[in-house]
Amino acid sequence: MNELLNIGLIYSTVRTATPLLLAALGGLYSERAGVINIALEGLMLVGAFTAAVVTHYTHSPWIGLTAAIAAGVLIAAIHAVLCISFKAQQVVSGMAINILLIGVPALLSGAFFESTGATPQIPLHELLQYAPVVIAFALVPVTWYVLYRTPFGLRLRAVGENPEAADAAGVSVTRIRYAGVLLSGALAAIGGAYLSIGQSSLFTRNMTAGRGFIALAALIFGKWRPVQTMLACLLFGLAEALATQMQGVVRVPVQFIQIIPYVLTMIVLAGFIGLSRAPRAIGIPYQKEK
Amino acid sequence: MKLSGSILLALLCVLALVLTPACNLSKASADDKSKVHVGIVFDIGGKDDRSFNASAWEGVKRAAKDYPIVLRDVEPGDPTSLEPAMRAFAEKGYDLIIGVGFTQTPVIQQVAHDYPNLKFAIIDGVVPPEEQLPNVAYLLFKEHQGSYLVGMIAARKSQTGTIGFIGGMDIPLIHRFEKGYEEGARAVNPNIKVIENYVGVTDVAWNNPGKGKELAVAQYGKGADVIFTAAGNSGLGAFDAAEQNGKFVIGVDSDQNWVKPGFVLTSMVKRVDNAVYQIVGDTVQSHFQGGVHVFGLDNKGIDYALDQYNEKLIPPDVLKDVEAAKQKIINGQIQVTDAMAK
Repeated sequence: MNELLNIGLIYSTVRTATPLLLAALGGLYSERAGVINIALEGLMLVGAFTAAVVTHYTHSPWIGLTAAIAAGVLIAAIHAVLCISFKAQQVVSGMAINILLIGVPALLSGAFFESTGATPQIPLHELLQYAPVVIAFALVPVTWYVLYRTPFGLRLRAVGENPEAADAAGVSVTRIRYAGVLLSGALAAIGGAYLSIGQSSLFTRNMTAGRGFIALAALIFGKWRPVQTMLACLLFGLAEALATQMQGVVRVPVQFIQIIPYVLTMIVLAGFIGLSRAPRAIGIPYQKEK
Repeated sequence: MKLSGSILLALLCVLALVLTPACNLSKASADDKSKVHVGIVFDIGGKDDRSFNASAWEGVKRAAKDYPIVLRDVEPGDPTSLEPAMRAFAEKGYDLIIGVGFTQTPVIQQVAHDYPNLKFAIIDGVVPPEEQLPNVAYLLFKEHQGSYLVGMIAARKSQTGTIGFIGGMDIPLIHRFEKGYEEGARAVNPNIKVIENYVGVTDVAWNNPGKGKELAVAQYGKGADVIFTAAGNSGLGAFDAAEQNGKFVIGVDSDQNWVKPGFVLTSMVKRVDNAVYQIVGDTVQSHFQGGVHVFGLDNKGIDYALDQYNEKLIPPDVLKDVEAAKQKIINGQIQVTDAMAK
């Protein structure tokens, strides 16, 4: 058992949780404003891809990271325009973005590198191994503060719970929801960038490997609250890190450990570990009364 | 407003679907009926995995240069699009259709059965003799032989007496790499500790470098100083871990020594390129033969890579012993266990 409990396990947990946490916090801003965001996977992918491409050309991972954020915001803007301005079905729009972002990197990498969905190797950058981790965990108290202690946070929660009342109080539902969705794009993209230029040294096809969906699970498991969401991400990270350490030591089927996040989410949704209540107006486009 | 929302959404969906299949049509003359048409369907890893698929791609490209063929390729986005891609080639009457990777075995069996006049080739497709079709060439490799040799190199190079193995998807084919590697290492040092990890149990396991790196970091943490990866794109994560930890990694399928020079001890090369090139050549010269084609150390279908990137990493005495073992395997004096043989 001692082989499992070591400092490496803690590092591994934190590293695994980081991209999840960034995407989950992004999802939090969008969903607390009342817009379902299952596009997190696609937003992470666009972040990962843009970061790798721009870093390859500019040799600066910081420009790469900035470009990733811009790309994330741009793609999130598509989601926002569809869901907020045009009141489209939010799940369908999110899914379409996910599928779109499987194809776009393949197409663009063909144009850039005569490749289909991979970028050339980028030199590993020491600082980027840690910076996104610090950003991710620092964003938890920041998000808590923004959400519960600032006028913007109050409005964000209000348009997610009761947009009519918020509107009556003079809050622009549209503007706040846009802000929430665009923020989610920026944060999820940082999470993706961490995967391609922080943890690894290239982009490969679908390299997020479902992390966007696990982040979504963490968000629900964390009851759409920043601290709980972080704990959920750490728990999922720990499950993954334990699986890594356990393989070859204890003979537990990998499958068993890989289903943990999903089983936990279902248990939470079924109401066994306290109630997880979604923002009341989530998924409902706001129609201003004429 | 409501209507335009639906239209925009529909547009986005269409755009998504159009762009997704990544159906790359190679630049070749449109439809020259006189030429032999070759269609190749890649595995989920895609042809840029710098490894298995990349090797197959290398082979068909070389064939396209040397023979007058029309070449088309498809990189399926997910396992469900394998069969439609293959059927599309068959319906257009492609002379030779190549499936890359064991996942496509059931699909190619079905399609080849429906199109008995077309020729098919499947890489890593293991099918019991009674189910083999005459119009399918099953291109198989003795990965365990090459893995044995790199296992020997790993054990000789290791100073800690612990080495690692990272497999992609937990499947019998990859167990063959694992067992051969372990056997080779034990032949050198019977007390060596081998840590074995797999990335996952679905096809996502080939495309998860983040997880590959975590596994490698954990193995290095447990004292391993050489890791052999057989994990497609996920293996590239282990290459990053090797660089950061100043340890060694062994590449797979393609010669990956160039990926991180100085950290890649060697690569277990599986000459998928040669196998593919040969089958295309056979088809063009109309002496295509169905049935099992085996590639091993004896016909250079399997080997370990030695080039300018790693020649300084392997001491000459190690090289001498490995070459001797290679001869013994070819002569049958050393029998490497094949984890897939029952």
